[in-house]
Amino acid sequence: MAPASDQPTAPAPASDLELLRKFEPVVYFTKGEQFFPTGVEHYVSECSLWEHHPNGRDELLVRQGELTLEKLVESRPAEFGSVRYLRFIEPLNLAESAQVLADQLLLRQKLGNYFRAGIGRLARGGILPRLLDGLFSLSFLLRGKVSAATAAAAELDYHEILTENRQYTYYGRVVRQNGWTILQYWFFFCFNSWRSGFHGVNDHESDWEMVSIYLYDQGGELIPEWTAFASHDFKGDDLRRRWDDHPELKKAELSHPIIYSGAGSHASYFRRGEYQAEVNLPLPGWFSGLIRTWNKLWTETLGQPAVNSFRIPFVDFARGDGLRIGPGEDQTWSPVLIDESTEWVGQYRGLWGLYARDPISGENAPAGPMYNRDGSSRGSWFDPLGFAGLDKVPPPPQMQQMLADNCEKVSRRQAELDKLIPEKAGDLQAKGARLKGMEGNPHLAKLHGALEKDINMHSAEVRNLRREVSENAALLQGLTRRLERLKTGGQDDPRAHLRHLAEPDDPTRVLRFDRLAETWAAISLSLLMFAIAALIFFAPEFIWAGLGIILVLFVVAESFLRGAFVQTVGRITLILAMITTLILFFHFWKWISVGALVAMGISLMFQRLRELTG
Amino acid sequence: MAKRKKSNKEKSPIPVTVIAVAIGVLFLIRLYQVFEPLIRNQVFLNGITGPFFAGWKLTALGSEFLSSAAYLVLSLAGIVVLIGFLRLRRWSWVLLMAWTGVSLSISLVDYIYSRPNYAVMASNVVIAFALNINEVQRIFGIRRDDGASL
Repeated sequence: MAPASDQPTAPAPASDLELLRKFEPVVYFTKGEQFFPTGVEHYVSECSLWEHHPNGRDELLVRQGELTLEKLVESRPAEFGSVRYLRFIEPLNLAESAQVLADQLLLRQKLGNYFRAGIGRLARGGILPRLLDGLFSLSFLLRGKVSAATAAAAELDYHEILTENRQYTYYGRVVRQNGWTILQYWFFFCFNSWRSGFHGVNDHESDWEMVSIYLYDQGGELIPEWTAFASHDFKGDDLRRRWDDHPELKKAELSHPIIYSGAGSHASYFRRGEYQAEVNLPLPGWFSGLIRTWNKLWTETLGQPAVNSFRIPFVDFARGDGLRIGPGEDQTWSPVLIDESTEWVGQYRGLWGLYARDPISGENAPAGPMYNRDGSSRGSWFDPLGFAGLDKVPPPPQMQQMLADNCEKVSRRQAELDKLIPEKAGDLQAKGARLKGMEGNPHLAKLHGALEKDINMHSAEVRNLRREVSENAALLQGLTRRLERLKTGGQDDPRAHLRHLAEPDDPTRVLRFDRLAETWAAISLSLLMFAIAALIFFAPEFIWAGLGIILVLFVVAESFLRGAFVQTVGRITLILAMITTLILFFHFWKWISVGALVAMGISLMFQRLRELTG
Repeated sequence: MAKRKKSNKEKSPIPVTVIAVAIGVLFLIRLYQVFEPLIRNQVFLNGITGPFFAGWKLTALGSEFLSSAAYLVLSLAGIVVLIGFLRLRRWSWVLLMAWTGVSLSISLVDYIYSRPNYAVMASNVVIAFALNINEVQRIFGIRRDDGASL
């Protein structure tokens, strides 16, 4: 099958760099983004190298200004449990912190590079997620975190780097596996400012992001078939889109996929928009079990939609209204080839920025392209096919041959079974006849028992063979149909492999009175606390009834603003009805049981009497 | 065999009838709760014999009058809702669900303060669960045929 006329191709013998350049992506950033893909060499020269020991001590290995890529990969033995890391921003005292925060404001004013959240994340979740969000913010008092001053200093330093050398770098890698040619584009950012800059989940020094393009060879030409972008909540099949999935995968100049980069997080998205990322709270097992049981009762018995309130909504803004880098844009790429033999890739297993001692790792810097934070190998590096769920997918030209091979294999087995089953079934019948001959002869009891056992096994074997024939027939039918469809040029649905499709929020759909709801979302939690404080102070004798009334009023106000008043009233009443049912059952279980038994008895009697009388 | 005549008029499903009966029962109970304190205080014989407030606080008589008035409001609201409900109006479903929620809350508060009224509680439970039935919600335009909320 020849590639479509608008299908870009590259000659198979092209060099790795030529291939990378042919399909290099265009990245659309969000207005307000402060960090863009850059080279590691300058960054490392601005860093110091540290070792965190298991006893909590941090040891300086190489000072800032003395570190180079060569020094970074020097062999340094370390004890188990230690963490090696870079430090881009040195610790700041109070005066320095105030200074960098002021300078950051001035810089943003000068550049006019502002971000406006619009309908923020708080208004996109209910009151319970907002309460949990408050607790999440408080958790930073206990967890290690990257300070706002560090983020500001990083922004200022990166601006200097960019001013000295306005270059946007990607690190390209070409891998050939199982008939696929995989182009990996790795992007390095000095800082991830999602929390401090865009109300997101975390901040950390340095950030690595990657996108892949999967090509197959047809008649000496490499043709792109799939593209995979790394993203927060997705893995495997859900990461990739087919090259011809036009509404989902946009391209510039036919051969350059467009990436919408999340503001601050740098997660990659196929479509422009605002994506709701959710952080599920780690709940104890018994509590999760309780929630599962409640959800089952709530959805299956009461027919209500499932609710997961134990999550915190965060928004990843991938608006694509900021800087654009790539072919056809004002800013273009400076590509650098990497592979396992690139020393800083293969030999430095440490973190590429501050180790913030965050036990859940969100604020700790990531490791390099080849490794995870714990120094183990990164799946997307050693198994780029499995990373996007393509390990089970043959390249299109091989698909037909593989289907034909499968058909032949199954047909061969069917022919074998066609011979085997009559033989086995005949043997079984002979054994059955022998068993019948033994009946009525008590002296053959032992032999009869053994033969009966053997017959049972034989019977199971024949049944399994017949089941195999039936299943093979269905399989063969499916394989043949698919083969015929492919031969006539038929294509699968480009989204058939997707289980979860990342879809941007529609902000107009979220709230009815957007400004009012936004304000309510921002202040409701504080108002709730003030109301409870007032209740405790002025009317402590009505604390429980008052708490109930306050909560119901808040939930009703919230639902009204979110346009879910009817559903909320229904849900609250249902919950109250369930509590009341339990109370009634507790007091009247005897009467309820007697009533139920009498009702069942009458019903049964009625049915039986009807049966009796015809 | 004689053919049964088909009626063109859409029939109310059984749960709607059950709810209407339950509202009727509740109306009678609430009506009793309106008059019981007034009769106990011999208001109809002697008129109002004391003040409702002592300073900022309600007197016992004031408290009885307040609860009597609250039950009167609930009873009257119940009648309005019942009329809308029998005419299968969407607003009546919403109002009835809200009314049942309020009534359940009052019943639970009464239960906590050792003044349970189990008949009211049971009637409310029947109404709440009956209103939640898919078929009922579809009739009142609360849910679509595919079960999604409108």
